[in-house]
Amino acid sequence: MDEEDIDKLVTAYLKKRGFKQAELVFQEELQQQQQQQQPPSKAGDRNRNSLADPEIAKLVHSFTDRSESCPVRYHDGYGKLRTWADSSLDLYKHELLRVLYPVFIHCFMDLIAQGHLQEARTFFNSFREDHVMMHSADLLKLEGVLSPSHLEEMEFAHYLRHTKANIKICKYSYELLLQYLHKTQSMTMLGIINERINFQVTPGQPMSISEDVGVETMFTIEDAANQASHKEIQWGLLEDSLEDRLEKAGNPHLESEKANGETKEGDLDDIKKRSGEGGKQSTSVKKSKKDKGAGAAGKNMRPEPNVVSVAPRVKPELALPVMSTEVEQSILEDLRNRVQLSSSALPSVSFYTFINTHNSLNCSSISQDGSLVAGGFSDSSLKVWDMAKLGQQSGTSMLQGENDTTNEQVVGPNGGRRSYTLFQGHSGPIHSATFSPLDDFILTSSADSTIRLWSTKLNANIVCYKGHNYPVWDVQFSPAGHYFASSSHDRTARLWSMDRIQPLRIMAGHLSDVDCVQWHPNCNYIATGSSDKTVRLWDVASGECVRIFIGHRSMILSLAMSPEGRYMASGDEDGTIMMWDVSSGRCITPLMGHTSCVWTLAYSCEGTLLASGSADCTVKLWDVTTSTKVPRTEEKSGNTSRLRSLKTLPTKSTPVYALQFSRRNLLFAAGALSKA
Amino acid sequence: MSIVSKESIEVIAQSIGISNLSPDAALAFAPDVEYRMREIMQEAVKCMRHSRRTVLTVDDVDGALNLKNVEPIYGFASSGALQFKKAIGHKDLFYLDEKDVDIKDVIEAPLPKAPLDTAVHCHWLAIEGVQPAIPENAPVEVITAPRGKSQEQKDDGLPVDIRLPIRHVLSRELQLYFEKITELTMRSPDSVLFKEALVSLATDSGLHPLVPYFTCFVADEVSRGLSDLPLLLALLRVVRSLLHNPHINMEPYLHQLMPAVVTCLVAKRLGKRLADNHWELRDFAANLVSSICKRYGQVYSTLQSRLTRQLINAFLNPTHTLATHYGAVQGLAALGSNVVRLLILPNLEPYLQLLEPEMLLETQKNKIKRHEAWRVYGALLHASGQSLYDRFKILPPLPSLQPGAVWKTNARVITSLSKKRGAITEHLEQQSPLKKMAVDGPINAVSTNPSPTNGREEATALTPANDSDADATPSAAGKEPNDIDAGAGSGRVNGSIRSVNMSAMLQQIWKDDLNSGRLLVSLFERFGESLIPFIPSPELLVFL
Repeated sequence: MDEEDIDKLVTAYLKKRGFKQAELVFQEELQQQQQQQQPPSKAGDRNRNSLADPEIAKLVHSFTDRSESCPVRYHDGYGKLRTWADSSLDLYKHELLRVLYPVFIHCFMDLIAQGHLQEARTFFNSFREDHVMMHSADLLKLEGVLSPSHLEEMEFAHYLRHTKANIKICKYSYELLLQYLHKTQSMTMLGIINERINFQVTPGQPMSISEDVGVETMFTIEDAANQASHKEIQWGLLEDSLEDRLEKAGNPHLESEKANGETKEGDLDDIKKRSGEGGKQSTSVKKSKKDKGAGAAGKNMRPEPNVVSVAPRVKPELALPVMSTEVEQSILEDLRNRVQLSSSALPSVSFYTFINTHNSLNCSSISQDGSLVAGGFSDSSLKVWDMAKLGQQSGTSMLQGENDTTNEQVVGPNGGRRSYTLFQGHSGPIHSATFSPLDDFILTSSADSTIRLWSTKLNANIVCYKGHNYPVWDVQFSPAGHYFASSSHDRTARLWSMDRIQPLRIMAGHLSDVDCVQWHPNCNYIATGSSDKTVRLWDVASGECVRIFIGHRSMILSLAMSPEGRYMASGDEDGTIMMWDVSSGRCITPLMGHTSCVWTLAYSCEGTLLASGSADCTVKLWDVTTSTKVPRTEEKSGNTSRLRSLKTLPTKSTPVYALQFSRRNLLFAAGALSKA
Repeated sequence: MSIVSKESIEVIAQSIGISNLSPDAALAFAPDVEYRMREIMQEAVKCMRHSRRTVLTVDDVDGALNLKNVEPIYGFASSGALQFKKAIGHKDLFYLDEKDVDIKDVIEAPLPKAPLDTAVHCHWLAIEGVQPAIPENAPVEVITAPRGKSQEQKDDGLPVDIRLPIRHVLSRELQLYFEKITELTMRSPDSVLFKEALVSLATDSGLHPLVPYFTCFVADEVSRGLSDLPLLLALLRVVRSLLHNPHINMEPYLHQLMPAVVTCLVAKRLGKRLADNHWELRDFAANLVSSICKRYGQVYSTLQSRLTRQLINAFLNPTHTLATHYGAVQGLAALGSNVVRLLILPNLEPYLQLLEPEMLLETQKNKIKRHEAWRVYGALLHASGQSLYDRFKILPPLPSLQPGAVWKTNARVITSLSKKRGAITEHLEQQSPLKKMAVDGPINAVSTNPSPTNGREEATALTPANDSDADATPSAAGKEPNDIDAGAGSGRVNGSIRSVNMSAMLQQIWKDDLNSGRLLVSLFERFGESLIPFIPSPELLVFL
């Protein structure tokens, strides 16, 4: 490489960029220099200059190359990096392979941004196979990007281009990578890796592949997630819940007297007493670190029937409605008669099959005691069946005595012609329906962006809640009633109370549709699942996001909270169910088994079983005790004792839309018969 | 480059009245159109998921358009899928083929049936984790043993061990089901629906409570409708479906069912006219009988002995009609080759003497009678041939060297029988001569084995019969011996080395199969050449 060559390149560069003045000046200077250099001995001067030459020459070259033969360089550079990573040492291979994906999509987007559309497409197609397994959804989205303007317009691409991917990598792998990049002089790749990837180099051994759940987190808001997870979460149950009272009173008669005599003051006394007793425990919950300690104590106790008493108690942040004593008593009665479920004592499942739906059933919901079944249809109607009225003795004979009140033949406006009560009012497909805890109200959400409240006693619409701007995908009553949460295509979740037509809180932060929503049993938190593949936990009082759960690989369709409030399960489009520890925000283990969308999830009342209903026409029962308390020794021995599927109950040809455990631990399921 | 081609854009532009769209503009539009399409599909998939579906419908796309604030697509939905046609002369250009519909046709078309109203049906998917075998549940692959009868009682199913004095109630669904099936059997046994019904009978769980009713129904109808062939066939098919159902145990009802089935097999007369094709029905019944014996023979130990006694009586009683004889023979044949060997073959000779006059034109003038006699003859032939074949099949496969060794020692017999081989090979037209030899060698070798000791006369006696047959195809017969010699010659070298071991082994086999050899020879005397197809053709199947 000669000095003159460099000079030529520089002039060519200046010409190309249109820096005419600079070019002139540069040439003048060159000429002057040449004239000056003529008289003295050239040799020495040359030598001195040429010492620094190679480095500069390379750099200059790389610059010129980059601007000229770009597309090919991307293709080649990536191809080489890929073969290199593929042939690297097994121990570090998976870490190096993980670098490929961000490089791949950024190469593609760079090519698009520079206008090499044809080349971008060929590049994408030749390497997409590598990533289809892990990132098929993202690839599908990116495949549609066909012009530079789309990059700006499409939020996903826009987001990718403005954030750095986080990759954890061990020190040695990192060095290997750098060494390779420098040795091969692939400036394009180096540029992309420097610009787009944020390496978190950890000393020591590379992490094992199984721990590698974090792949998905590369492009998500991990910072925010980390930040959020520092906030404390009080996952304990509410103070003075009915379960508590049941625990306290061994004698049912005593209990009922107490319940009768109890007033608000009595409640307050209770709280004081409790805070005196378990003060230490409740304070220990405040810090998530200590929280583990408390949890560990809880874990050991779990097999015992009085699990609930172990969970710490928290105060409600919302003013909760007061229950009438009769209702309270009937619930207590139910709790007393509850069947204890475990891996060896599986529940009975009563299945409600919708027939002749003509593919129009969008959602269904089952009341607490299973006596009412609601179906929301795409023709905007809501239909409610009273199972007692249908004369299906099998469905109700085993149920609670409280049915007696609803057993009265409520003759609808249409007399005996219809077997159901028809509720009309929405002007778009109904996407979700939920019963209030006492079964006296139903809430429905619709594509007409409204939520409507219906009374099952009056068979009429009572309130229409307007607030969302787009279809409302999901609505859920709080476990205590009165409050409810909704989620919508407008990327927000909202908190409402029955007596206000405006939302109380708006939870914004998801990057895509909020697809499902679920209350924490203590009513202080709301979990939302979204198309951005994350689950977020929101504090009801402040409306802030307190946890982000990252790990799903597709849109989240269903959520469930364990009754003691410590765990959460979420099901996605691919059939994966994930169990999360709410306080730490980490995934305990994924439950694989379903082959299609998991529409619904439900925990049994004591939290030992998880039931899942899916589009693959099965109800699966999972043992969740084994996973949540894996002793150290077992953990070492292998994954055998992790969450396991206890039982698969296939239906004939009915995707399962809704699951509900009654207070007595009878499982109700509903779905529409679909012809194969 | 993109999925949407430039040409498509141009066509769309033309269709909305823009005729002068420049190619550049079309080229620029194409990627953007694709992007918008993907965007809409992404939203449509969301709508689909929130409608709890896994199949994308037109409504979802409408929903997506609605979300994007795009004007919806107006017009009527068509019931069928849209038909795109390829434009002639263009590679990737498609258009919608829309037909003109006469409004009169639309107006005058009868109103479609009102769709059924939505309803909810409730059933137990599981009871304490165990799925009850009721029609509402998917059939379980393996029937688990019933766990305690209290659970069984709850879901209107009965305990498997049924005792008649127990009063039990059939659910309305089951009653309807029974009525529907019986009606189909009686009225339209040829309909598609009946076939569906048979499948349902063969697969559905939870039909057990209906089994006694079906048994009674079949028994009644058979005794009433002996002249109605289609009905009888339909009834037997119902029985077969029930037998195939893995969830039903028919054993307690067999005593009621067997008379009906056996009647269909050996009845004196089935159908209205003599010319009716009742043979098919008898064949069907014979198969059914054998499958019953196979499935319940273990549990119901006296079943087969009673059945065979009944059949052999029918067969040996000369006063019965030939049709009865036919049924009996078919029934016995279906029960397996051992039954045939022990019961039919010893009686073959006297019976054939009896049958012969019926078969000949001179002695039996009645055409139908003669036909019946030939039928019986055919059945006998088939039964004994099958038994013979099975007999050979159970022999251990002989080493390929053996033919050489045998031929070497028993050269005389081979020459006589190799001609017979020629006759056999006629039926093996697909195979090359050498391969044929490999296939047939063992069989013939075995059949010839007894000859040196006591079958020699018989074997030589056979030759004339075979000669006459071989004359028909002299070329085939003439060629064969040469091939055999060639094969034998090559085998001889090795054969002589191993012949010591081989001969010991052969001694054993010969002893075992002395009887089979005799059997073959005696059968040959009875049936002559017509037996030959029975020997190799099943063998052929095995080797194919």
